[in-house]
Amino acid sequence: MEKVLVNQNEMTLDNEVKVKRPLKQRIKDEWRKNALVYIILVPVLAHFLVFQVIPFVYSFILTFLNYRIIGVSEFVGLRNWTQLFKDDIAWKSIWNTILFSIYYIVPTMALGLILALIIKSGIHFTKLIKGVFFLPVVTSFVVVAGIWEWLFSGTESGFINYLLSFLGINTQLFLSDSKQALIVLAGLSIFKVSGSTMIYYFAGLQSIPKEMYEAAKIDGASSFKSFWMITFPLLKPIHFYVLIITTIGSFQIFDSAYLLTSGGPNFSTSTIVYYLYSIGFTNLNFSYAAVLSYVLFAIILVISLIQRKYFGNDQSMY
Amino acid sequence: MLTKIVKYFVMFFLGFCFLLPFLIMVLSSLKETTYASLDPLFWLPDNPSLNNFAYLFRNDNFLRWIFNSVIVTIIPVFSQMFFAGILGYIFARKQFVGKEVIFWTFMAVIMIPQQLLIIPKFIMFSKFGWINEYQALIVPELWAIMGVFLVRQFMQGIPMELDEAARMDGANDFQVFRKIYMPLAFPSIATVGTFAFVSNWNDLFQPLIYMTNEKMYPITVGLASTLSKEGNFGIEMAGATLSFIPTFLIFLFFQKYFTEGIQMSGLK
Repeated sequence: MEKVLVNQNEMTLDNEVKVKRPLKQRIKDEWRKNALVYIILVPVLAHFLVFQVIPFVYSFILTFLNYRIIGVSEFVGLRNWTQLFKDDIAWKSIWNTILFSIYYIVPTMALGLILALIIKSGIHFTKLIKGVFFLPVVTSFVVVAGIWEWLFSGTESGFINYLLSFLGINTQLFLSDSKQALIVLAGLSIFKVSGSTMIYYFAGLQSIPKEMYEAAKIDGASSFKSFWMITFPLLKPIHFYVLIITTIGSFQIFDSAYLLTSGGPNFSTSTIVYYLYSIGFTNLNFSYAAVLSYVLFAIILVISLIQRKYFGNDQSMY
Repeated sequence: MLTKIVKYFVMFFLGFCFLLPFLIMVLSSLKETTYASLDPLFWLPDNPSLNNFAYLFRNDNFLRWIFNSVIVTIIPVFSQMFFAGILGYIFARKQFVGKEVIFWTFMAVIMIPQQLLIIPKFIMFSKFGWINEYQALIVPELWAIMGVFLVRQFMQGIPMELDEAARMDGANDFQVFRKIYMPLAFPSIATVGTFAFVSNWNDLFQPLIYMTNEKMYPITVGLASTLSKEGNFGIEMAGATLSFIPTFLIFLFFQKYFTEGIQMSGLK
């Protein structure tokens, strides 16, 4: 709404200096030219203000309040922020999230690249299999987690334990073991996301000119060698892009921690967003939850800025 | 020859690994069983029954959850397609004061994680009386910045001469958009629709927070909070299968738009 008013003010100025036409005529012309823009953009900007900008600002204000659901909220200065530094579970959640990223990012990239190489290898049925690899991407976490919970049940009747027994490995606790639970969650995310990293790599592979491989072949390079000398280095921009988006995704992990472990055992799968959720909607401490959400924002902002620095602006935004 | 066999073997092995969880899901849904009495291979097909599905359809909450999911998915899908199309056109082709500022503001906001907005939005929706109402999940999703970028990028590649010709024939802005840009940019608009479908249908975080009444749950929350707690794996998997079918069908018919969309969004 405001934007339009500003526009019109600027127009009046323009009008007085340059074009000596009456204001009414000027507005009429602009309307004739850009009516669609104003009809669409005014409600969209109002929507943007209400559902994006105001919540963003309000969230920041919340961090300085002791928000009460009933009654008057009071200003408490930096108290919520200092609480963060004394809160061991918050730090543990941040650490868990970093650990999750370590378990998750490289395998997702590697598996995505392997899948892309398979799809690109020019054999039959690749189109069908490409769909199979992509299927988990469009499936909800709730569905995948339901299956995962059963596959990884920590008893002898668990399917993965059953498979491990053939290798002579003892029954593992998986989700009930505070050392293994986060790895099982990372495994779920790898399964769910590598189909989309495959697509990025597939696009990258297609942009490598065929002549390079032919030249390497003439020089007698094995296909293994030409992968490490040509394919892998030429995919550098894709590696970087995929690295950034999987990193951002890994810091937002919530669903699997909520569905499979509820942050446990012993907070070993409490991630930043899971902790934020439990502080906000179990403990109903909105102000402190807002602080945690700003921690998440700060981390993602830094990653995005790194991305911008290396990628320029236009193509890399999402 | 040998390398070819190895390639096929690796491909089908990995394909099998990716399919197995889905296979177990569907086969388990056909088994009457409880969680406790499972053996690792209980899902192998013998004596299948549809009783788990019958149980779900007798449970009136279940159909209600599906219905809720449909409502909070379909409206945003079409709305996002429309707004992505028309805003894509506006930002690709129209000239107006403040265009760059608005566009860059949108760009910047994409960096804000949605989890940051959830607490202020919850407070706001409580004041609006939107908790346990469809509006809480529909209205904020009516348009999405990402879709606008996608379509804008696509439309910038459409030759200008086309709309100049249409304008000579007396077409107005909206007609130019509807007759030229929308059909030509349809692949990108369809991509926006498919992504909107998947993200809204699969969303757990937001409905978990805005919907506290069991009757208002979408299927994701219903599955997560009720069915999985009943302790009957067969019924849980029957619910999972039914909730998976719509996304599966969308994926089957629009697979092209998913994969092309991911490529378009990331790379030029």
